[in-house]
Parts: sequence; structure tokens; C-alpha cells
Amino acid sequence: MTPTLIRPDDPSLRDEPVVALATLVAATGSTSKRLGAKMIVGASGRLIGGVTIGGCVDAQVIEAADALVAGGAERRLLSISLDDDEAWEIGLTCGGTVDVLLQRVHPSNVDDPVMAAHRRAIELVDAGEGAVIVTPLDAGTVRTVAEPDAPTAAGDRVFLDRVAPPATLVIVGAGHIAMSLTALARELDLRTVIVDGRERYATRERFPAADEIRVGMPSEIVATIRPTPRVAVVLVAHDYKYDLPVLRALLRTPVGYLGMLGGKKRGAAVRELLRAEGFTDDEIARIHSPIGLDLGGRAPAEVALAIVAEIVAVRYGKRA
Amino acid sequence: VTSGPAFRAAVLEHFRRPRNRGPLDAPTAQAEGANPLCGDRVRVQLRVEHGTVADARFTADACAICVASASVLTEHVRGKSIDHAAVVALDWVFAALEGEPPAGRRRCALLPLETLKRALAAANNGPVSRA
Repeated sequence: MTPTLIRPDDPSLRDEPVVALATLVAATGSTSKRLGAKMIVGASGRLIGGVTIGGCVDAQVIEAADALVAGGAERRLLSISLDDDEAWEIGLTCGGTVDVLLQRVHPSNVDDPVMAAHRRAIELVDAGEGAVIVTPLDAGTVRTVAEPDAPTAAGDRVFLDRVAPPATLVIVGAGHIAMSLTALARELDLRTVIVDGRERYATRERFPAADEIRVGMPSEIVATIRPTPRVAVVLVAHDYKYDLPVLRALLRTPVGYLGMLGGKKRGAAVRELLRAEGFTDDEIARIHSPIGLDLGGRAPAEVALAIVAEIVAVRYGKRA
Repeated sequence: VTSGPAFRAAVLEHFRRPRNRGPLDAPTAQAEGANPLCGDRVRVQLRVEHGTVADARFTADACAICVASASVLTEHVRGKSIDHAAVVALDWVFAALEGEPPAGRRRCALLPLETLKRALAAANNGPVSRA
């Protein structure tokens, strides 16, 4: 996973008194990573994340990061030129340049300005709000503001690093597909919530990687989750007893994705029932069923892969 | 009596147009029940006034048989005294639904009945009860 924020309690940084935080802050040409991509380089040689897809630029960044950690400088702005051959290898197909900001960070020091900024960002994000880390590129102190308070006027060179609350995948039905979904979602930095009415299914033993496990009336549980466009809900119980109530609860909300396991015939029957209850065609059209991209696989992990693939496609506006 | 066409028709009618589905404002007693393996979940809420069930409603994420059972039961107990309401039995549910479910599905009809009885017991005892 790519690090977004450094958490003070991150166990992988427990033995790292000082690290270099590398952030992709500018690029010309087309980059295969978004601005804000990060890599943490520890004094021990530990690497977490990356600022580009490939290795050449990362290698140069690591070399500079090692020097920063070993020396006394607090920051360095690297500007790395890419020729076409390198660009092709690392996915920057148009050549150009990338600017990478290196910052010296003491993860366990509460007074470290970067840690303070990240701590504030974590507070905001955990509260469901967007945060913006304002990092001066030349001189000055890094700080975090709530998204509505982000500076807009041009002035000193700063990098505005927007950190959104994590996208959430709500999985209704704690069966085998849900287990695979949870594992895949973790790789995609999706927060997962397992929902089921059956205590014997929705257990921590079966879902060690789930962020939250909730047992109860599924339609009532999903109704308590803020239904933002960053929330995807998948119905994989393959049981109308959950599908219908959950759909009733969510079809008129701005939830970002609604998918339901089942064949075309079953999907048509559910849609007809909902239509008879007064839901409009536009509302009903929001249901992705059959769920997932048509990858051909039938095994639980393959179905789960098709589902997360469709969620990603929908998130980026591709036709699923 | 078996799970014939009349039973299926009654169950579907109550599933499509359930009576008394949805939360009750200011219940004086309630109970929630679940079938642990199939996942049916139902909550029965009562408003009891002077020993009489003034209103009864249910909320369910449950199969058609379970919803139909809850639907006929909440209709049945409204207006009855707690003691009178509490004598209702599974046979009455089957009679109301004009048949019986297959043997493996009897628990679907039983869950709302057991939950209703716990809600009625809670009404007698005073505090709102949850399973």
C-alpha cells in the first residue's frame, strides 16, 4: 500500500528514529502516479511506498533520502529530469521532469512539524473530513488545515496535499466472496465494513483484515453509515432477505456504488419488486447486477476481483 | 394443511404488502430475534396502554415466510389484552396463512411468534427488552 500519512503508532516505523519522507510535488509529462505519492525511506534502508511506478526515479530519490537522513538537512527539493528511455521504463511516457520533496521526519517525536501536521490530518480524516497538508517548498513550517480552509491565493510556493477520508466498502453478507473482497480491498486502501445478521458468519476469525464487523439488522446498519459517493455497498449474501431491505435503505442516497450478487433473472425480479414499491427507473438503474466486470471467473476470489474491478471503474468514470 | 398454493399466495401477499412494517413511535415494549444460521432478523415493537396492545409493528430483514408471519401476528394482537395476545400459537399463524411451510422452514414462521411473546412479556415486566 502507498502511505498517505505517517501514523505515530505505525509499527513498521517503531525502530526508525529518523526517516525521509519523499513526496511527488510536481511533474511535467504524464505521470503514472498522482501528485502527492509518497515514499518513506528509513535509516535502516526500509522503503515504504514509492513516488513513481518504476525504479529509476525512485532509486535517485532513495539515494538523496539516504543522504538527507545521514546528514543534518531538514528538507531538499529534487528536480529530476527524465529522458525518453527512462520515461518509457517507469511509465512516464512523455519524458519531462518530476519534482520530489524530501523532508526529514522523526516519527516518534510529537514535536516534529511533519508529524504534527500528519497527526492533525489523521484527526480530520478520522472524523470524516477532508484535510489539506500545506507544505512550503522553499522555507516555512508545514501545517494542516481542514479542506474548506485550504489556501487558494498564489503566494509562496507551497504544495497542497489533499487527504480525503478513506473510501469505504460495505460488504453485506459474510460469506466466501466477502472474505476475498476484504483482502482485495485492503490492497486498494478501501476501508471495509462487514455486515451480516448472523453472528457465526461475521466473525473476526473469518475477517481478520476487516476494519469493522457489524452484526444486526443489515438495512439498519447500512443506514447508519454516511452514504457519500466514496462509499461502495456490495450485496453478496445472495439472499433477498437482505438485498431488498438494504436496497430500500440506500437507493435514494448518494452512495457511490451499489452492487448485488445474482444472475440477470434474479436481478430483474428484484428490480420489479422495487419498481412496484415506487422506486423510479433512475433509482433502480443504480443497481449493478449482475455485479462486477465480466471476467469469466466463478470462484469466490475471482468474483471478488470482478467486483472490486467494477468499483474502481465506476470510481474513475469508466463504463462498467 | 400443507404448503400449497393458498399458503404461497398468502405469504407472497403479506411479503409484498406487509401490514404494520416499520418502526413504531414510542414503543413501550419491544424484542428482537434472529435465526442464527439463515440470518432472518425481526424486531417486534408494541405500545401497550392499560394492559391492552394499542399498536404493534415489526421491522425485519427476513424471508417471505418470516415477514408474512410477523405481518399476520401484529395484525392479530392489536386491540387485545396482553394475556389474550400471549396465547397465540404457531397453529394460529399457519391458519392465518392458510397452510404450513415445509418442515425445514417452520422456524421462519416461528421467529416472529417467539419475538412477539418476548415483547409481550417485556410489556408485562415494564422495561423495553432486546434479545
